[in-house]
Amino acid sequence: MANLEAPPPTRRGPVLRLRKIWYQSRTWAANPTVALGVILSVLAVYLILAPVLLMLWDAITVDFADQARTGKSIGELTFYYLDRALLSPISKHIFWKPLVNTALVSVSVIITTLLLGGTLGWLVSRTNLLFRNWFSTALIVPYMVPSWTFALAWMVIFKNRKIGGPSGWLESLGITPPDWLAYGFVPITVILAFHYVPFVILLVGNALKQFDSQLEESARTLGASPLLVARKIIFPLLRPSIISASTLVFAKCLGDVGVTYIIGAPVKLDLLATSLLRTISTGQAGMSAVLAGAIVVLGATSVLIDMKLLKAAQRFVTIGSKGSLHRTTELGKWQVPAFGFAATFFAVSAIVPLGALFLTTIMHMPGVFTWDNFTLDYWIGQDLVTTAMPQGLLLTNEFWIAAWNTIWMVGTASIGAGLLGLIVGYIVACSPFRLMGAFLKQVTFLPYLVPGVAFAAAYLSMFAVPRGPLPSLYGTGYILVIALLASQMPFASRAGIAAMMQMGKDPEEAAQIAGAGWWKRATAIVLPIHRGALVSGILLPFISGIKGLSLVILLAVPGTDLLTTYAVRLVDFGYTQAANAVAIMLCLIAFVGTWLGQKVGKSNLGSGIGG
Amino acid sequence: MTSISIRDVNKTYTRGNTRAVADLNLEIPASEFLCLLGPSGCGKSTTLRMIAGLENLTSGQISIGDKIVDANAEGIFVPPEKRHLGMVFQNYALWPHMTIEENIEFGLRIKKTPAHERKTIIDTVLKKLGIEKYRKRYPSEVSGGQQQRVALARMIAVSPEVILLDEPLSNLDAKLRLDMRTELKRIHAELGSTFVFVTHDQWEAMTLATKIAVMNEGRLQQIGTPEDIYDRPANRFVAEFVGTLPINIIEMNSLDNTTFRSWLDAGIEMLCLGDQQVHSLGIRPETIDILPGTAGADNGNALCSAQIIDLVPTGGNWIVELDIAGARLFALKAQVRDLKPDQLVQLSVSKQDLHAFDAAGDRLVPTPSK
Repeated sequence: MANLEAPPPTRRGPVLRLRKIWYQSRTWAANPTVALGVILSVLAVYLILAPVLLMLWDAITVDFADQARTGKSIGELTFYYLDRALLSPISKHIFWKPLVNTALVSVSVIITTLLLGGTLGWLVSRTNLLFRNWFSTALIVPYMVPSWTFALAWMVIFKNRKIGGPSGWLESLGITPPDWLAYGFVPITVILAFHYVPFVILLVGNALKQFDSQLEESARTLGASPLLVARKIIFPLLRPSIISASTLVFAKCLGDVGVTYIIGAPVKLDLLATSLLRTISTGQAGMSAVLAGAIVVLGATSVLIDMKLLKAAQRFVTIGSKGSLHRTTELGKWQVPAFGFAATFFAVSAIVPLGALFLTTIMHMPGVFTWDNFTLDYWIGQDLVTTAMPQGLLLTNEFWIAAWNTIWMVGTASIGAGLLGLIVGYIVACSPFRLMGAFLKQVTFLPYLVPGVAFAAAYLSMFAVPRGPLPSLYGTGYILVIALLASQMPFASRAGIAAMMQMGKDPEEAAQIAGAGWWKRATAIVLPIHRGALVSGILLPFISGIKGLSLVILLAVPGTDLLTTYAVRLVDFGYTQAANAVAIMLCLIAFVGTWLGQKVGKSNLGSGIGG
Repeated sequence: MTSISIRDVNKTYTRGNTRAVADLNLEIPASEFLCLLGPSGCGKSTTLRMIAGLENLTSGQISIGDKIVDANAEGIFVPPEKRHLGMVFQNYALWPHMTIEENIEFGLRIKKTPAHERKTIIDTVLKKLGIEKYRKRYPSEVSGGQQQRVALARMIAVSPEVILLDEPLSNLDAKLRLDMRTELKRIHAELGSTFVFVTHDQWEAMTLATKIAVMNEGRLQQIGTPEDIYDRPANRFVAEFVGTLPINIIEMNSLDNTTFRSWLDAGIEMLCLGDQQVHSLGIRPETIDILPGTAGADNGNALCSAQIIDLVPTGGNWIVELDIAGARLFALKAQVRDLKPDQLVQLSVSKQDLHAFDAAGDRLVPTPSK
């Protein structure tokens, strides 16, 4: 645009000014992004920004219970909680130890996932690995299985006599696994690593898939050895995807509650997220705000570093350039070992845990493989000896209530998130006010930085008491639905923004010129064009929502149990078989959902994965 | 038939306080084929989008026919869907989820055209543009040239009285551009609608338009017939922007080449500019006559000795690179049979082909004789 000076201000009468305002409002009325943007911004503030800020505010204001200890009255500013969490004698157990544990776990998980995922990603994207296509789907399975089901499976095999309930398989075989193998750091690292390897396979594998072989070949013709090529050419160009994968895994490790809850508790191993869960469940609002704040800061820092590094990396993006060549590497004599490696990973990360879980649900005594030990009692039995569960799972009313709750709550939340995400995309792409678009883009991304437990805590401080026109929502399904919806906004809005930016305004403007009003444009042009994006924007949150535990563990009460919280409740009661059966059912729903998502939306799971 | 009137229109973007369009006044009579021509970022697309109602005005007024559609100070704004226009977008903006037939039908449905009439109209436009066999296909299943025809068909199906085209030929290859140019001219003749066509390609503008409006940096530079624009550029910008081979511009102030200077001064003398100061002089390459040999006279025009440095074929025409005592000049000739490099020649230019500009770059015109 020409950079001329703006016209000099002319004399304006009040009538003229009124008319100009009227003109402005007429042009806004013709452009639905303005009204929609205002409504959505209000919603985003109310459902995302306000709860998070309100919770963080708790970190520096006196709570009702602490008036005597702080010598201040409720609501006054205080450093009491910060001091207690960071400097007091108990800070070691509440904050510093969990922080160190979190750091150790995340770093080990990141290294393990990068090594395993990088190798597997390369095998499925750039080599002639046997059954390559099959593996490219099969290796994603561990991601579709909720992470805490791995923990349940681990307990099935490795649990020792330290804690009660049915004994583990190894124990029944007469081998007592040591505590370090049964609980704590090692299993947590292994389980989280297996669960997040698919991220790395997808991100690094996709980058490798688009990598132009000519770049390698030109280095080879200059006399570089394969190792030098890998070190100087391939690795630097893959760095952005490696960094993104690491950030993603780090954010996930920060927020994971389920695995540590199940497998860390016996040896009293806490991560920041479980420490947070403990402070919340004991009603320490101030302390939990400090811990949640720490997690948010860590998450935000990692994302900022990621963005900064990615920006630097964009300067040498050549990937996807015209006329690139994609040659596959012949594995030759490595064919069999490579196949063995991929098959082993699949077996250990998917078949063994799911198989073990399933077997416990059809056996009386764990680990005893005789015919008379098999039973369907845990599924369809009646008049069982277990007091609280006299029937098999499929005959238990609570199970069906939880299943129905899962489907309607997560379903409603996902449909809402998908639609709102598309609207956010529409506003970001088409609004004349860029600030509004930028604001929505950032705020809808915020839940990504707030781990589920902390987000739930935020929702408790916002909606557990009556606010304005809303009554207290705690104990109702609505708080779960809106919390799920808000927490799914990061991917829903990313998907919507990507779809809308790609299409641009032109198709809608063409319809406008043809005489279509905004409703007609929305229903006949915009929504149909983005049908695919909408379907995946609904199904991906659905799949990630049904298996998520950290968000709902605080918000669900027995009447509003979801399958995940129901399973954890069963674990708490020691009904391992029933809990495992619930986990199996959940996996089934997740698989069917994923399959449907890929069929209906023709969407690529790889582009939307992230939750 | 519908005219368009743009009065005192300004468009300022709040971001960066940039002025995309400044004090624009344009009267476009009914049935005109007006080209908005200018380099990218000159405000021509913004102007088109303001006529369509897709951008609002910062100040000013736009009328279509006798109806004011946009008047900032009156508080009038008619939304795009109520302006009854036709528009073809640069990337065609076909709806990817509708077949070609459905794309064309959409506007007719909005207009509530009865079903049987719709069918007749669709058949006619599909046939007219030679795309009837693709009617059941989706836009992604036809070539770029055919998409372009669909975009045109979709627009003419609703027979709008005002047709806006935003660089519609820029994504086509050379052969298709020629075809579509003919097609557009035919449609214009048939419909008799008012056309506003945005392009940065002066060849397109020259060959299509009945009137050209040249814009630069948000301001209208000149409006006139293609001949006006080419033969009588209003300022240096227009002179330099229009012309396939750029015009020769000679800065008179810094010219110390006496051979060249005395020849040009003789030319300026004939322009009867009185005591107006000539700052620069433009000579189009194709208006330079090259006379073989070293002596002679040409209709009373002054002559200038020069040497041919090089002859560059461009397919059809030849660029002749000339040296006048160290200064460079380019000429364009259809045939150069009697010329060869290093040859000494005489140059001659008629006075109507000398374009004199003042210090501000505006064209100098003869002062009325006293």
